[in-house]
Amino acid sequence: MNKSLLDHILRIRLPITLFIVIASFSVTYFVSRAERDGIGYTPQQPINFSHKLHAGDMNIDCQYCHITVEKSRYATIPAVASCMNCHTVARKDRPDIIKLTQYYNQGKALEWSRIHKIPDFAYFNHSIHVNRGIDCTHCHGDVKKMEVVGQMNSFTMAACLDCHKNAQERLPELKEINRGPDNCFACHR
Amino acid sequence: MTDIKEGLNNPENSGLKTQPTYWKSLKQLYNDPEFTEASHHEFKEGVTDDFEVSKLSGLSRRKFLALIGASAALAGAGCSNYRDKGSIIPYNKKPEEIIPGNANYYASFVNSCKCGCGVLIKTREGRPIKVDGNPDHPVSKGKICVKCHASILSLYDPERLSEPVKKSGKNFQKISWNIADSEIRNVFSSIGDKEIAVITHSITSPTTLKVLKNFTNRYPSTKIYSYELFNDELRNSAWRKCYGSGTFPLINWDKAKIILSLEGDFLGTEGNHLENSQLFVKGRDINNPGNFSRLYVVEGNMSLAGMNADYRLRLRPDAQFEFVMSLINEISKKTGYSQIGNYLLPSFAQKYSLSKEVLEHLINDLIDSRGTSIVYAGDTLPEKVHIAVNYLNEILGNKNLYRNEVNVFLYPLSTTNDFKNLISSINDGRVGAVIHFDSNPVYHLPYDLGYSNALKKVETVISLVELENESSVAGKYTLPINHSFECWGDAKTRTGFYLMQQPVISPIHNTRQKEAVFLTWIENEGFEYKENLYHEYLISNWRENIYPTLNAGLPFEQFWLGALHDGVVSINENVATIGSFNTAVLSELNLTTDVSGFAVILKESCTIGDGRFANNGWLQELPHPVTKVTWDNYAAISQTTAKELGVDYNDFIEIEIAGRKVKIPVFIQPGAADKTITIELGYGRTHTGTVGKDVGFNANTLLSSTFNLSPYLYTSAKVTKAGGSFEIVTSQEHHSFDDELIKDAAEKRGIVKEGTIQEYLNNRQFLNEGKEHSLLTMYPDHPYTGLKWGMAIDLNKCISCGQCVVACTSENNIPVVGKDQVKRGREMHWIRVDRYYSGSIDEPMVSNQVMLCQHCDNAPCENVCPVVATTHSPDGLNQMVYNRCVGTRYCSNNCPYKVRRFNYYNFRDHFDDAYQLDNLFNLVYNPEVTVRSRGVMEKCTFCIQRIMESRETAIKENSELKGSDVKTACQEACPTSAIIFGDINDKESEISKYRNHELGYHVLEELNVRPNVTYLAKLRNTKEKA
Repeated sequence: MNKSLLDHILRIRLPITLFIVIASFSVTYFVSRAERDGIGYTPQQPINFSHKLHAGDMNIDCQYCHITVEKSRYATIPAVASCMNCHTVARKDRPDIIKLTQYYNQGKALEWSRIHKIPDFAYFNHSIHVNRGIDCTHCHGDVKKMEVVGQMNSFTMAACLDCHKNAQERLPELKEINRGPDNCFACHR
Repeated sequence: MTDIKEGLNNPENSGLKTQPTYWKSLKQLYNDPEFTEASHHEFKEGVTDDFEVSKLSGLSRRKFLALIGASAALAGAGCSNYRDKGSIIPYNKKPEEIIPGNANYYASFVNSCKCGCGVLIKTREGRPIKVDGNPDHPVSKGKICVKCHASILSLYDPERLSEPVKKSGKNFQKISWNIADSEIRNVFSSIGDKEIAVITHSITSPTTLKVLKNFTNRYPSTKIYSYELFNDELRNSAWRKCYGSGTFPLINWDKAKIILSLEGDFLGTEGNHLENSQLFVKGRDINNPGNFSRLYVVEGNMSLAGMNADYRLRLRPDAQFEFVMSLINEISKKTGYSQIGNYLLPSFAQKYSLSKEVLEHLINDLIDSRGTSIVYAGDTLPEKVHIAVNYLNEILGNKNLYRNEVNVFLYPLSTTNDFKNLISSINDGRVGAVIHFDSNPVYHLPYDLGYSNALKKVETVISLVELENESSVAGKYTLPINHSFECWGDAKTRTGFYLMQQPVISPIHNTRQKEAVFLTWIENEGFEYKENLYHEYLISNWRENIYPTLNAGLPFEQFWLGALHDGVVSINENVATIGSFNTAVLSELNLTTDVSGFAVILKESCTIGDGRFANNGWLQELPHPVTKVTWDNYAAISQTTAKELGVDYNDFIEIEIAGRKVKIPVFIQPGAADKTITIELGYGRTHTGTVGKDVGFNANTLLSSTFNLSPYLYTSAKVTKAGGSFEIVTSQEHHSFDDELIKDAAEKRGIVKEGTIQEYLNNRQFLNEGKEHSLLTMYPDHPYTGLKWGMAIDLNKCISCGQCVVACTSENNIPVVGKDQVKRGREMHWIRVDRYYSGSIDEPMVSNQVMLCQHCDNAPCENVCPVVATTHSPDGLNQMVYNRCVGTRYCSNNCPYKVRRFNYYNFRDHFDDAYQLDNLFNLVYNPEVTVRSRGVMEKCTFCIQRIMESRETAIKENSELKGSDVKTACQEACPTSAIIFGDINDKESEISKYRNHELGYHVLEELNVRPNVTYLAKLRNTKEKA
C-alpha cells in the first residue's frame, strides 16, 4: 500500500505538479514579458497633449519641439515657453491650454510622466543615432498616430544589441549604416 | 637599522653596480621585518577587522527569512502594472545658451589662488562641475594649480555659512542681512575718531581697492591692513636695496642652461610655480637632448625642485648665506672680482661635508655659462641671502635672463610694525571696529603679536568669510560671502594683462559678494541691497577708469563682453628697466648668525596652501609630492638627526624657539640636512569644517614677529623627544610587491629605467640594447584595425606635482575616503605618482612615475573575472562595467600594476558620518560618469566619457574621429604636458612618435601583458665621471 502510494506520487503527482509549476511559470514569464519591459506603458500626463493632432494631423516636425535631439544626448521635452509660441494665440479657450497658460504665467515647472527610460548606468545618446539617419519611430513607434504616447518597444540591453549587431537588417532603408558598437564602453562608463 | 652601505654591498646586488638600487621607503631599504611581513599580506593590518562575526547583525536566519517574506508580500500587494519611471521636468523658459546634456564653459579666475590662474569653468545645465585652465591666459596657458582644480569642491562644501550670524552670549544666532547691515552701519556712523581696521589678504583687484577707498572716504578713520602668510617681501626688499626700485623680475627659466636653486621650491610652491614648471621643462626636451638645462639644488629638505635636480646638495638653510658668499668669492677669484669677507668655499664644503666634485662642477658650470645661468634663492631665506644672490647673478652677467615682466602689487602688504601699531591701538581702546575681509589673522599672524587677545577688547568684530574660521568665531558678526564662482571681479597680478571674473552660478546660500557688503555699508540707512550691486559698480569702474586707459578701439559694451568671454584683457605695458647694481649694499653682507643647534624652517603646504584650503577633502587626500603623506603635516628630519634625538617615524618631538613651542610627530626624510627641521604650515586648524578641523599640527605657533633671519627660518632651536607617538599615514608603502620574492623590484624588473644625457648622446639605443627578449604568448594576436588608444608619459617632463591626481578626482567622481581608510590602503585615486629613491639615504636620487591603468592588450585582469565585468574594447581599452561587477577582487589581485581600486564602502556615506552624502555634494559629480557604489571595482578608463563625447561630435560633423580630438583629464591638467594621449595606429600622430621613441619603455614588459602606456625614460644631465 505504502509502496503503491509512493509509486503514485512519483509517477503521477510529481510530474503533474512539476509540469503545472513549470508551465505556469513559463506562460507568466512570456506573457508578462512585454509588461516587464514596460511595453504598453501609457501614463496619464498633466496636460492632455495629443501627438496624433500635432505631429500627425498638423504634421509638425518632431524637432520643432524636441529641439536638442541632434545636438545632445537628450531629445528633451520642450519648455513650456515653446508651447506658448503658438498657444498664446491658438485654442486659448480649451481647458488644457488654460492650464498650460497658468503654468507659463506662474513660471511653474510642468512635471511630465516619463515614458521611456533606460537605467542610469547606460549612457544613451540621441544625437549619435539621429545624426546617423535613424528615424525616431524605430524606437519610439509611430508617435504620429498616438493620441496618448506610450512605450511601443523594449528598451532593454538585448533590444539595443539586436539593432547594433544587425543594423543592415533592422534598418534596411539606411544603405550605408555600419553595425553599432557592441563593446561595454559604448554605453557603460 | 643597519648601515646603508651594507645594503648596497649586499652580494645579491653586486652584479648590478651600474644601476642604482631603488627603494620606496626607508623601511624597505633596511628590510625592516615589519615591512617585509606586511608585504606578505594582501591587505594592510586591520583591513579585515570589520568582518568579525561577533560584530555582525544579530538577526537570526529565521527572522531574516520572515522579514524577506513579509516584505515580498508587501511589495506584491503594493505593485502596480508598470514600474514607475519618474518624471521629466523641462524648463519653463529655457535659457538660450543651455542645451541639456552639453556643457558650457565660462572664463574666470579663483580668488584665493596666488598664481592668478585663468580658469575655464565647465557647467552642465547651469551647474559648475569641473575647472580647467583657460588656454587664452597669457601666463598659465590652459593649466591650473591643484587649488583651482579643487576649488569646485569648496563651492559645494555643505559647511559653508549660509546665513549671517551674530554672537549673543556664547552662541551665534541667525539674523537677517538687513538687520546686520543697519546695526553695523550704526556702529560705523557713531564711531567718531576711533579706528575701523579692515584686515585683508593681498589685494589683487583694482575695483576691490576702489571699494575699500570709497569706504575709507565714507568712514575716514578706516585703515586697511593687508597680509599674506607666505610672501616674497624679503626678495623684493633685497631687490630694492640692490637696484633702487621695482620688484624682483620674473625669470626666463627656459633660457637658463644652468639653474642653481637655493632652498627654493620654484616648481612646487614658490611664485607662479605653474609657469615656472612650464618654462623649466622647455629646457628638458628629449627631442633636443643637446640642449638640456642642468639643475643644481642646495636645500635642507627634499622639495619638488630637489626631486627633479641633476645634482642636489643638502645644507641647513641657515648656512645658505655663508654658502652663497663662499660661492661668490670662489667665482670672483676665478673671474677677477674682489673678494667679500673671508668666506672660503673649500673650508665651507669641509664644514658641511658637501661633495667637492659637485661643487667643482657647479663653479665651472656657472662660470662657463655666464649670461645663461640663474641663481635663485627661496622665499624663506633671509634678505641678505637674496642680496648676495642678486650680486652673484650680477657678476655672472645673468641679468638678461630676467624677463621684461614683473608682478604687480596694487596695495603694499602691511609690515610687522603696522600690525604692532594696530594691536597697541586696540589695547589703548582706539579701535572701534575690526573687519576681517575674507582673512584669518587670528590663525595666520605670529602669536607673539597678541592679536587674538587684543581682539577681545574690540567691541565690534565683523568677519566676511565663506567658512567659519578662528577669527570669525572670536568676533560678533559673521557674514557669509560668495564663493569665487558666484563672484564678479577683476584682477591685476602682473604687467601685461587684467583678469576678469564672472559668476557661473547664482549664490547657492544667502550669501553676498564681499565688496557688495562694503558698498551697502557706504550707503545711508534705508538703502536696498540688490544682487547686481557690485556687478554694476564693476562695470562703471571699468567704463570710467580702466577702459579709457586701454585704447581698446572698441565700443565699451563690445569690449566688456569680449573681456568677459576671454577672461583676460591683454595690454601693452612698459616695465622700467633694471637699474645698475648698488655696490654699497655689499657692505651689509656680513651675517654673524650662530648656526649651531637646530634650524627650523617653516614652509607653505604643497596642497592646502596657508590653511585656506584645509576644509577641502580632495586636497587633504592628495599625497604630498615628496613624502606621500596624506591628511597631516609633520617635522621632516634626517635620519642622523632622528638617531641623535632617539626618535623614529611618528614619535613626537617638541620644538622650542625662545619660549614658542610645538609638539609634532617626526617623519624621517631621505636627503634632509642634519639638524634641520622642516614643517609645513596650514594645518592644525581649530575652526573650519569637519574635514579640516584638527588635521595635522599647528606650527604657526613658532612664527615670531621679531625674527633675525626671516619669518620662516629660525636657528638655535631646542628640540627634544616629547614621548608618545602619532600615526602619520602615507600612500607610499601600499601596492608594494612582495619583497622576498622580487627583491629590488623597481630596478630588476625595469619599472624605472633611467640614463644620462651623455649615455643617450653616445648611443641612442642605450636603454633597450642587449635587453631584447622574445616573449611568448598562448593568445592569438588580436588585430586592431581602427583607432587604438594609447598614452605616453614623458618622465623627463613629469615633475610629480600631483595635478593629474586632482583633475582625475574631479573628472571621474572619485570619493574622498578619509585618513582612516588611506591607512588601510583604500584610497581611490585612479592615477598616482609613485616615488622611488635610489642611492644612499643621505644623498638619494629620486625617480617619479605616474602610474595608472595600462590598458594592456593581454590584460591579466580580464582573464580572471568570473562575471566578465572587465573586458577589452576593439579600440584597445580595458573596460570596467560597474553594474556587472560582483566584487570578487580577482582582477585587482591579478593586476601587476596594482591600479585597480575597490569600493570597500559606499565611501560617500562612510567618511565621517555621511558627510559626502549631503545633497549639495551631489552637484559636484560629473553627470557623464557613474557614481560607483559599495562592492564595485573601478579603475582608470582613459576618460571614456571624453572619448565618447568626441565621437559624438565627429558623427555630428560627419567626420572621422581622430586620436588628437580627445584629451584626457590628466593630460589636460598636466602643467608640463608630460602626458600625451591619442591613436597609436595613426603613424603621423604625436603619440606614435613617443611610443616608438628610443627612450620609450613599458613597465614590466617581460610579462608580455602589452601595456598601452609608454614611459619615456628619464635622462639626468649629470657630467660623466672622469
